[in-house]
Amino acid sequence: MKKLNISYEKRKGLYGYGFIAIWFIGAIFFFIIPIVKSFIYSFNIVTPEDSRLSQVWAGIENYKSIFLVDPKYRQYLVQVLRDTAIQTPIILVFSLFVAIVINQEFRGRAFARSVFFLPVIIATGPVYAIITGDIETSGSASAAQFTTMFSTDMVDELLEFIGVYGLSDKFTEFMSEATGDILNLVWKCGIQIIVFLAALQGIPPSAKEVASIEGATAWEFFWKVTLSYVSPMILVNFVYTIIDTFTDPSNPVMGRIHDIQSGWEYGKAAAMAWSYFAVVLVIVGVIFALMNKIIYYDD
Amino acid sequence: MASEAYKNNNAVSGLLNKIKPKKQEKEPKRSRKEEKARFKKRLENLTPAEQKYLKRKRAFDKGWPILRALIVFGLCFVILYPLLYMVSAAFRPQAEMNDPTIIWLPRSFTMSNINDAIRAMDFWNTLKRTLFINIGCSVVQVVTCALTGYGFARFNFKGKTAFFLVVVLMILVPSQIILIPQYAFFRYFNPLGIYHLITGNYINLIDTPLTMYMPAITANGIRAGLFIFLFRQSFRGLPKELEDAAALDGCNPLRTFTQVMVPNAGSTFLTVFLFSIVWYWNDYYVSTSFFTKNSTIALELKNLSTTLKIVIFGNADTAVTVRELIVWMESGCLISILPLLVLYAALQKYFTEGIARSGLTGM
Repeated sequence: MKKLNISYEKRKGLYGYGFIAIWFIGAIFFFIIPIVKSFIYSFNIVTPEDSRLSQVWAGIENYKSIFLVDPKYRQYLVQVLRDTAIQTPIILVFSLFVAIVINQEFRGRAFARSVFFLPVIIATGPVYAIITGDIETSGSASAAQFTTMFSTDMVDELLEFIGVYGLSDKFTEFMSEATGDILNLVWKCGIQIIVFLAALQGIPPSAKEVASIEGATAWEFFWKVTLSYVSPMILVNFVYTIIDTFTDPSNPVMGRIHDIQSGWEYGKAAAMAWSYFAVVLVIVGVIFALMNKIIYYDD
Repeated sequence: MASEAYKNNNAVSGLLNKIKPKKQEKEPKRSRKEEKARFKKRLENLTPAEQKYLKRKRAFDKGWPILRALIVFGLCFVILYPLLYMVSAAFRPQAEMNDPTIIWLPRSFTMSNINDAIRAMDFWNTLKRTLFINIGCSVVQVVTCALTGYGFARFNFKGKTAFFLVVVLMILVPSQIILIPQYAFFRYFNPLGIYHLITGNYINLIDTPLTMYMPAITANGIRAGLFIFLFRQSFRGLPKELEDAAALDGCNPLRTFTQVMVPNAGSTFLTVFLFSIVWYWNDYYVSTSFFTKNSTIALELKNLSTTLKIVIFGNADTAVTVRELIVWMESGCLISILPLLVLYAALQKYFTEGIARSGLTGM
C-alpha cells in the first residue's frame, strides 16, 4: 500500500482538527447557530406558532421598548452594575487575604481549607437561595442573633471604637452594604480563593529566601513580592468575578429576562440578553486593557 | 578522570553533610522574664532603626498566630453556620421552632420532617433521575473537554485562534442568550435535517435526558468552555518531551493522549469532574428551560415550598409563611446536598491539594 506523503507537521495539524472536531460539531449546533439566531431574534418580533417561531422584522423596536418602555429593565440593570462595582473589589481583597492565611502553616489547616472550599460545592444551587433566605427572613431566634452580629450597628460601633465619628451617611451606607452580608461575601469567594492559593504556591522559594535575607517585614513582602507574583491571577479573578456576578441566575436582570422569556416574548428577551451582554463585554474589556498594563509576568 | 570527579563530588557532599548541624537542639524553656531580658540584651548593640525593626517583627510574630486563629475560626463559623443550622432544624419538631430557649439542640429528635420532605420531593425517583443525568453528563463532558483541550494545547492548525475565540466566547456569553434557540432545537428536533421532509413531523425532545446529554457529549454542556480552558492550560504545562518520546516509539497522537498525557493530568481530571458534577447537580437555570416537570433534585428544591404545601396541607394555596415551613425546607436541603457533601468529603484531600497542579496558575 502506498503511504500518503504528508509532512509530520501537517499530519500533526490534521490530528489537531481531529481532537477538536467533536467539540466543534457540538458548538455549531449548541452555540454558534443559537447565538446567531438569538441575535436575529433581537431585531424581530417573535411569536411561537405550531411548529416553528414566526419572525417579523422590527428593526431596533425591541431595544427601544426595553430601554424606554419596560418599567423595570433599566432599573435592574443599574442595580446589577452598582452591586457588581461594590462587590468585586471586596471579593478580590477578601479572597486574596483568605488565600494568604490558609497558605500558611498552622494546626488545623487541612480542616480550614476543606471548609473554605465548601461554598464552591453548595453556593451555585437553590440550596444557597434557601440558606440565605432563611437567614434574612426566618426570624428564628438563632438566625436573628446571627444577622445582627453583622448589621450596621456593628460597623458603626466598631468605627466609634476606633475613634471615627460623624462619617457621612453615604460612607456608612457603603460600609453597611459592604459588611452587612459577610455571609454572602464568604460564600461567593470559593473559586477565587482556590485560584489565589494556586498562585501563591507558585511563588518561587528563592524569592522568599532573598526577601528574608534582606530583612523584609511580612508587610513589605506582601506589597513587593506576593502582590506582583499574584497579579496575573488578580486579573483572572477580576474577570471571573464579574462574569460570575453578571451571569448569576439569581440576579434581577437574569430573572427579568427569564420572566419575559416565559411570557413567550422571545424577541424582547433576546434584545435584553444582548444589550446586557454588550454592557458586560465592554466592562470586561476596559478592565482587561487597564489591568494588563500593571501586571507582572515572570517570564 | 570521570570517576575521580565523581569521587571528589562525593567527598564534597560528605563534607557538607558533616558541616550540616544534625538537628537543632531544642532551646531550654525560659521564663517570660528571662526571655525579655535576653531580647533587651540583644537590642543593646544595635542602631535605633534595627531595634525598631526587631521589636516590630517580634510583636508581629507573637500577635499574628492569635489573630489568625481568630480569623480562621470566625470565617469557618460563618461558612458552617447555615449547615449546622440546617442539621439542627431538620431533626427538630416543628413546634420547637419558635421556642426561644432552643438554639441548637432540640429537646426531642424527629425523623418526620425528613420523611415528609422525601415524600414531597419524590426523592428516591428524583435522585435516580438526577444521578443518571448528572454522573453520565459529567463523565462524557470531562472526556470530550479533555480531548478538545488537548487539541488546543499541543497542535498547530489553521484557524486555531479563531476556534479558540469560540471557546472564550462560550465562557463569556451568558446562557440565557442561547437558551431560546436551543429550546427550539430540542422542541422541533430534526435529525440530519431530513426527518421532517420524510415524515412531516418533528421529534419533541423536551423532558428527555437527551437535552442534557447531547450538549455534554459534544463538549458543550454546562460551563464546558471553562473546562476546555482548564484542560488546555493543564496540558500545556506538561513537558513536551513526554510526547516526543512517545511519538518516537511509534505512538499515534490519540494513543499518546490516552496513555501518556491522561495519566499525568490526573488531578485536573479529578477537579473538572468534581466541578462538573457540582454544576450539573445545582443547575436549575438551564434545566427549567428543558424540563417541564420537576425532574431533577435542583428543580424539586426550587419548587419545594409549593410541593410541601400540597403534601403536608393538601393544598398549594394554603397561606403558610416560609418561616413555618422552615423545618421541612431545611430537611429538603439537607437530603439534596448530602450526596454532594459525601462526594466532597471523599475527594477533598485530592481536591484541595491537587488544585495547585491543575493548571490554573498558567492562565
